[in-house]
Amino acid sequence: MTTKSIASNVYDWMDERLGLSELAAFARKKTVPVHAQTFWYYWGGITLFLFTLQCFTGVLLLVYYRPGVDAYESVRQITFVMHFGWLIRSAHAWAANLMIFAILVHMFSVFFMKAYRKPREFGWLSGMALLGLAACFGFSGYLLPMDELSYFATKVGLQIPAAIPGVGPAVANLLRGGPDVSEFTVQRFFALHVVVLPALFIPLLAFHLWLVQRHGNAVPESEEAKPLAERKTMPFMPNFLRKDIAMWIISLNVLALLASVFPWALGKQYDALAPAPMGIHPEWYFMSPFEMLKLLGFVFSGKLAETGEIAGILLFTLGIVLWILIPFYDKTKESGQRAQLAHYFGLLAVFALLATTVIGYWTIR
Amino acid sequence: MNYPFWDIPFLGSGWVIGIIAIFHVMISQFAVGGGLYLPLAERKALREGREDWLKELVGYSKFFLVLTGVFGTISGVGIWFAIGLTHPEATSTLIHNFVFGWAIEWVFFMVELTTAAVYYYTWNRIDAKLHLVVGWVYAGASVCTLIIINGILTFMLTPGDTWLGVAGTGHEASKFWNAFFNPTYWPSLLLRCCVCASLAGIWALISASRIDGGALPKLKSSLVKWSVKWLVPSFVAMPFLFWWYLLMVPGSQRALLTLGIDTIGSGTFSIITRMALLIVMTSATIIGVAYYLAYRNPVDFNLSHAVAILMLALTATAAGEYSREMLRKPFVIGHWMYSNGVRVPRAIQIDQAGYLVHSNWVYDANSSYSRGEAIFRGECGSCHTLEGYRPLVKLLAGRDRANIESFITMLHEYKPDSPYHHFMPPMVGTRQDVEDLTGFLNAHVNPPAASAQKPMQTAQK
Repeated sequence: MTTKSIASNVYDWMDERLGLSELAAFARKKTVPVHAQTFWYYWGGITLFLFTLQCFTGVLLLVYYRPGVDAYESVRQITFVMHFGWLIRSAHAWAANLMIFAILVHMFSVFFMKAYRKPREFGWLSGMALLGLAACFGFSGYLLPMDELSYFATKVGLQIPAAIPGVGPAVANLLRGGPDVSEFTVQRFFALHVVVLPALFIPLLAFHLWLVQRHGNAVPESEEAKPLAERKTMPFMPNFLRKDIAMWIISLNVLALLASVFPWALGKQYDALAPAPMGIHPEWYFMSPFEMLKLLGFVFSGKLAETGEIAGILLFTLGIVLWILIPFYDKTKESGQRAQLAHYFGLLAVFALLATTVIGYWTIR
Repeated sequence: MNYPFWDIPFLGSGWVIGIIAIFHVMISQFAVGGGLYLPLAERKALREGREDWLKELVGYSKFFLVLTGVFGTISGVGIWFAIGLTHPEATSTLIHNFVFGWAIEWVFFMVELTTAAVYYYTWNRIDAKLHLVVGWVYAGASVCTLIIINGILTFMLTPGDTWLGVAGTGHEASKFWNAFFNPTYWPSLLLRCCVCASLAGIWALISASRIDGGALPKLKSSLVKWSVKWLVPSFVAMPFLFWWYLLMVPGSQRALLTLGIDTIGSGTFSIITRMALLIVMTSATIIGVAYYLAYRNPVDFNLSHAVAILMLALTATAAGEYSREMLRKPFVIGHWMYSNGVRVPRAIQIDQAGYLVHSNWVYDANSSYSRGEAIFRGECGSCHTLEGYRPLVKLLAGRDRANIESFITMLHEYKPDSPYHHFMPPMVGTRQDVEDLTGFLNAHVNPPAASAQKPMQTAQK
């Protein structure tokens, strides 16, 4: 019995019961379009890879992290005592940022390739839900070390839901577990980050991926215009998969570079009675709404300041709602002028997000 | 302090060497590997009658000539400028000890440049066999440049007990060969040879990736696959060679690699561990990506893939060279000269006579601040800046004057159980020098209120 024959027997035994050869046949049949925009097809996979990394490093951190009163001390031990604890923590923190960056690249490339059109509306909607959940992951995870920066960033960040007219304060209280950010908040955020959000994210992700398998990759309009015979494709297995894995490994190296050269710091333990440090601000992916609120606060000052804040929140929310509903506006390639307007809306969104983020950093005091 | 201090804002002068040298290593090690690649490829093409390969190799050799002949030479001379300005003490020792080594190196450089030019310009103009000989002469000269520079470079890390026995007596050059073939010479040479072969393959992949796989699939496939094979020596030998190299490094310096295992704390010198991690990651990735992407799918291998591999190689090289430099701490010449230029046996004399006795570079000898500034530049400036790279203002933040003074006193006393023993030289000088340095650092770490009188302007403008 050679190793090959043993392996082959095992494969046959599993195939009879699990239908593996059907999967292999599908994978062999599946093709990926090859054109100038093929590069953007990798970004969903990169996001998936980074999410897997987050699960892996997250579980390792989970082994030593203690939520509640002892949170800061447990993170201090991970960073400055455990062997390579700093590495797992830095990888987790950097991968979070890289994952959100990858999601944004993925989302914008899907938008501009108009891959939200029929029959891919559910793909778009589930993707937007995944983006929302990822932002919640980021926000909840940021508090967990309970150092100065995370405490005050969360305190300031929770002012946004608190400003929602009517239900705002109740929502903020629910998230905080009380009137102030405290050890109850960190336990709540921990439960969210480690149980609730993954329980929502993973099935939604599975649905999102199944849709991609069902509908295949969308192609840009210029490619759609070509007759089928002229369109180039590559087999999913092994060509695209090989390149996909190469992109993942390069992402892993970028992560290793960031985690090694710029390891994630741990500030002083939070002091609830201290004033917020100068120049406190949220992470870059929340800078845009943060800065929009500040800008509108300038425009509406004094008595109108509260109105300004609410206006800011409503404006941002309106923008997001319009963004989510785009598949119902620009439905098919026969959409005519709507297609062009959607494209401009996308450009406006990119510009607004970039500009407010840059201004946000520029004006940090 | 015999020499003036070359003050590079923010980066520090050490990084001027670093940036030029890392760039140089990427090209010079390619020059050695590529010098072997070209004649071997030409010989294979001639034997197998591959006209398409020969046509392609003409383009390769042009790229090779321009890259190595222009950028390699400029950066190589650039290293000379940088080391002479940054660390004249160490450079002086190396020149005095290895003067004929340096001279021979230049002879081989001349041979390299000449043969590289002849090799390119005489393609299809002279007899094929003679052309191949020119290639081999280049390869030989190039390997010789590596053989020589490796001796001088490894000497800095491990001069060896024989040379150390005669250091300072005036008879150092009598132990030229012992110093040259020092404990880390052979592992370093073999390591670098593997890297040279890998870089030859990686740079060749850049050129090969640009072939149109649709139009010339056989050519692209054969060249890409053959180039990837140049990474095999690294894959096979590097782990053992690294292990051998580390075995030859003194134990106290090898211990520096472990400082970053359990912490990233400020002032713990954890950077070497993190850089070592990067070397392992990027090297493994290069081999993996080169095999699965380039070797298994050569026709689809494009320029951006090749550039990605090159960037990984650049990261691995930068991390490797940086780690090697850091492993030398607290010395610039192992157990002979500290990083700040103070020779180990001279430390006691300086403690008695004072650090600034032989220094012409004090702005105002009557001002404690000015004296402190001169001491800072001489004793700390080789590794630290005030507010840029490895910034002392940040590292000493939170300490008041008394605390800073006790810190410097700890460095001055240099007791064996001090945690800074691993990577910092002793602070040498008299009690007055300690106080002057304290005053200078305190003025920056805890600057006086804006309304208070500022210290007088000194050499910094």
